[in-house]
Amino acid sequence: MRKLLSLVLAAAFLVGLTAVPAMAEDVEVKVFQLKVEINEAITAFAKRYSEATDGVTVTVETLGGGADYGGALKAKMASDSMPDIFMIEGIGGYELWKDYLADMSDADWVKDTDLYYAPEGKVVGFPIGIEGFGLGYNAEILEKAGIDPATLTTLSATKAAFEKLDGMKDELGLDSVVSVGTSVSGGLWWVTSQHVFNAFYAGYLDYNDSSVHDNALKGELDKERLTAFANYLKMLYDYSNPDILVNGNYDAQIAAFAQGKTAFITQGNWIDPSMKQLGATFKMGFVSHNFLEQESTGLYIAPPSYFVVNAKSSPEKQKAAIDFLNHMALTEDGHKYMVEEAGMVPAFKSVKLLPPGDFSKALVEANARGGNYNWYFGQNPDGFNQNTLGPIFELLATDGDVEAFVNDVTAAFQSIAK
Amino acid sequence: MKRRAYLDFLFIFPCVFAFLMVIIVPFGIGIYYSLTDWNGVNPVINFVGFKNFTGMFREPQFVYSFLATLGYTAINVVLVNVVSFILSLLVTGELRLRNLYRAGFFVPNLIGGIVLGYIWQFVFNNVLVNMGATLGIGFLQKSLIADKNTVIWAMSLVNTWQYAGYIMMIYVAAIQSIPASVLEAASVDGANYFVRIRRILMPMVANAFTITLFLTLTNSFKQYDLNFALTNGGPAMRFMGKAIRASELLAMDIYKTANAANRMAEAQAKAVVFFIVLVVFSVTQVYINKRKEVEA
Repeated sequence: MRKLLSLVLAAAFLVGLTAVPAMAEDVEVKVFQLKVEINEAITAFAKRYSEATDGVTVTVETLGGGADYGGALKAKMASDSMPDIFMIEGIGGYELWKDYLADMSDADWVKDTDLYYAPEGKVVGFPIGIEGFGLGYNAEILEKAGIDPATLTTLSATKAAFEKLDGMKDELGLDSVVSVGTSVSGGLWWVTSQHVFNAFYAGYLDYNDSSVHDNALKGELDKERLTAFANYLKMLYDYSNPDILVNGNYDAQIAAFAQGKTAFITQGNWIDPSMKQLGATFKMGFVSHNFLEQESTGLYIAPPSYFVVNAKSSPEKQKAAIDFLNHMALTEDGHKYMVEEAGMVPAFKSVKLLPPGDFSKALVEANARGGNYNWYFGQNPDGFNQNTLGPIFELLATDGDVEAFVNDVTAAFQSIAK
Repeated sequence: MKRRAYLDFLFIFPCVFAFLMVIIVPFGIGIYYSLTDWNGVNPVINFVGFKNFTGMFREPQFVYSFLATLGYTAINVVLVNVVSFILSLLVTGELRLRNLYRAGFFVPNLIGGIVLGYIWQFVFNNVLVNMGATLGIGFLQKSLIADKNTVIWAMSLVNTWQYAGYIMMIYVAAIQSIPASVLEAASVDGANYFVRIRRILMPMVANAFTITLFLTLTNSFKQYDLNFALTNGGPAMRFMGKAIRASELLAMDIYKTANAANRMAEAQAKAVVFFIVLVVFSVTQVYINKRKEVEA
């Protein structure tokens, strides 16, 4: 692995070497990025871009896959060789590099996405791709049961579908209606206490509306909303296979869905490759986590990391860097790179290419449609989701006490409120 | 003579140096950190006195882990030693193929705790549950490691399976070192098998008991790998009004405080308490056992 990594790095270095001396007068844009898996794709894309664009050369350096990207970036800053484009992953990196982040509010790519990063109003982050989750469904089973997934937009519709499927379990060959895991021992605590619970933080709100989560961190939880969410969660639990719910691990959860033993699953688009591996050939898609009667089709979508432009680079370099990002977001060549070569789900609405996996395709469609919800669980204090919420969510699976759940969650947030 | 002492010191120096640098110095630093609010990364470290020590006993998970660890240790010390003592009597007796059995009982000890944990997780969650369902045995139909009342026992069972073979070897060595004449003399005097074991064999292997009890005590108290792989702390339960994990032993609680929650100083304070309790228990145990040892 190490050998492979160094080989890849050496290759990137060589590409850089050959590209630079060819055009001595060029503006050179240095990209420093941390996703090892896209290294080859982005290096090739940068090379194509450099060849096609007079006066600009883009070089890529990759460090990641367990290596200390943040440390290396600090070293580059100390040695006065900061890259022109680098990556941050969220609020932690933002706080650290605040002074180095160029304002891209006027860049063309911003108009083509809702998922730019602008924690304090000005746009600083270019979403490298998106990941998302919702309530995944098996379209074949729903069709056999005569349920149109497009109608599952409210709590009562979802509930009716669950009831109907539960009554037809034998006909459809189902073990249970939904595949959900919450077990601490199986390592699935994050499925419910992070992802499903994110519906409570973000559901039915505008993409950048963090009021519910902000209030939660202050220890103020809307009891009615939390109770509605708890009832929804209990419904998911009640219609799931208890063995997977409290004992199962990740493999068990996704295998049950892939084998057609459940109609729904609480996971995200990252299970696409596993679905293919497990030989699932049916059509799949997402519906929202509908814990209220209000209509909603939104999914929970956010980019895992962002490209940022170094505000301390020369103005020409900054402009060239933003042009490069525009090219990536807005041209066919850029789309081809993001979807086909790097295998990502792009965050841009103009992208027409579709990724191979069904869940990823569903994300692209949802993103183009709009009305999606942000991720907030990452902003909770370290270990809170796992150590404090994890057991509370598992306890609901074993004792089914919604009121105790609401009190526990409220008390948990009050204990971390400043 | 002076020259000799100097040389002695020179030979012992590498060990002393290594021991100082990797045990004594970090131990001192650890005690210092337990009195601060260090989070593991932040270079700003504030002294907070004994706040970490008083705080931990109001934390339901820690109190529970503490009690669970004591219970787990008690179960294991008894279970492992009873099983391994019986096994050692069997394989030092007139059994055919006894060398094969000795090796066989010892083998589980060669499997790492993580692998073993995952294997037994499968056994508890799938094999036993299916057996229970097919044969209609009620208590097996729910996984034993998913029930808060049985999970500590299930862990003890796996630990015994793994560790009894190792402890058995210590008993075997001790039993074999007893002069045959002593047991024969007792036999001639009319002592039956159980009297011989109780009155002759057990006092003669008392030094082995000192070692095995010490090993099982410290080993169970420090249990982590098996705990991690088998249950990872699950299932959830309610204790002192809060949802906590029912099989999270002390070592795991310390680890999660340090690494999942990034509260390094608190974890360090817990580790200091852990150390003190373990020292008190094991020194008491060795002291009591030592008094019971006899010479042949």
